[in-house]
Amino acid sequence: MTLAIRQVTKSFGQHRVLDALELEMQPGELVCLLGRSGAGKTTLLKILAGLLKPEAGSIWFDEEQVDYAESHARHDIGLVMHQPFLYEHLTGIENLRFYARLYQVADDAAALEAALAQVGMQRYGGKPVRAYSRGMKQRLTIARALLHDPRILLLDEPYTGLDLQGSLVFNQLMLEQKKQGHIVIMTTHDLSHALPISSRFAFLARGRVAEDLPNRELSLDTLENWLTLKLAKPNSEQQKVAA
Amino acid sequence: MRDWLHSVRTLVWKDLLQEWRSKDMLTAMFAFAILTLFIFNYAIELSPVNRAEIASGIIWVVMVFAGTLGLNRSFTAEQDQGCFDALVMAVPDVSAIYFGKMLTNWLVMLFVSILILPIYSLLYNQSLINLGFILILVLGAWCYSAAGTLIAGMTVQTRMRDLLLPILLFPILMPVNMAVVKAAGGILAGAPLVEVQAWLVLLAAYGIIVTTVSIMVFEYVIRE
Repeated sequence: MTLAIRQVTKSFGQHRVLDALELEMQPGELVCLLGRSGAGKTTLLKILAGLLKPEAGSIWFDEEQVDYAESHARHDIGLVMHQPFLYEHLTGIENLRFYARLYQVADDAAALEAALAQVGMQRYGGKPVRAYSRGMKQRLTIARALLHDPRILLLDEPYTGLDLQGSLVFNQLMLEQKKQGHIVIMTTHDLSHALPISSRFAFLARGRVAEDLPNRELSLDTLENWLTLKLAKPNSEQQKVAA
Repeated sequence: MRDWLHSVRTLVWKDLLQEWRSKDMLTAMFAFAILTLFIFNYAIELSPVNRAEIASGIIWVVMVFAGTLGLNRSFTAEQDQGCFDALVMAVPDVSAIYFGKMLTNWLVMLFVSILILPIYSLLYNQSLINLGFILILVLGAWCYSAAGTLIAGMTVQTRMRDLLLPILLFPILMPVNMAVVKAAGGILAGAPLVEVQAWLVLLAAYGIIVTTVSIMVFEYVIRE
């Protein structure tokens, strides 16, 4: 599957968050979105998920414009946001069973145990989510997002709450996603974990992809220096305030 | 259609299981209903003559006020953990969320009324075991849930949801309130079902129209 974002524009009130943004992705690519807070990273993910409507522009999967009214288009997408999308009074297994039934994928005990096992949560599936730590919730959230085998994964700060082992498990899962030809778009501030799995780093500024850096064996130092330079440049809002 | 019904069933299963575990809605609704019944018991002196007429009004007022507490909770559980977005992405059609929530609210309201009717009978020494009366309450609760779920879906996204829900909901419930109180009052006074048929038709029509319109507009209500 290919993904193309064409001329996507979105404003909140007077503030234009995305301004004719363009981005194309090939099968098996993982693009890491970087930028200041408020640069539009989460807004872009929500538009790609069909949760926000852009004022202008369109999203294309496999050279076909996406119609989010169609459930199969929404089912192509797995989403991890800041909030876990989990029900506190249900157990881990019950949460997964609920989503598996909605997506109409296998919801038998073996399938759900396997989904938990891939994030290292097989021992905690019977416990209510309200008893989970932040990291355990994040692992379950990742299992939930992968449950229906989506071809596009949208991840907003997926390393939040994950310990070192959890981050490594997550990276392994993302490498498998890439191998299967799935597309992953994620936002993160954790460059050290994102570096080994990212195909590209797209820097968002002034509502557009200001720079698209391919990951050709970049070192962490190079990446951090590049990002520091980007962040040091005042954006249009700051320039306005200074003026 | 099969996918839609499957989603509705799954949503109701999840909501009821969650409610059974947390008892958030049930506890609040039941406690409120009992307290209100006790207040009415002290405030209104019922004679055997006016008992039948007033009983329907008291029970319906208790159900409507208690139901409002439940409606408020039914969407906040989704909103608190951001689950609404996940539901929108997973269901075949967003109207399934409305219908699932509406059924859950209806069932919870009926469950609470099953609990409070014997208590009312005990307090007022009046038997409410009457098929016609129960049919009216079932229809009234459906109309209430149909309108209430739609309004709750709208107000849950606002900061003043607790205040807005009754302000928006109660005016559009006026025909339901009138029909339930008049029909139930008639039945409890000994009138045959045929005599209150017009009120039953009104309730059925209201339920069908509001449910259908809500299914059609729910997507616009919850989207940005």
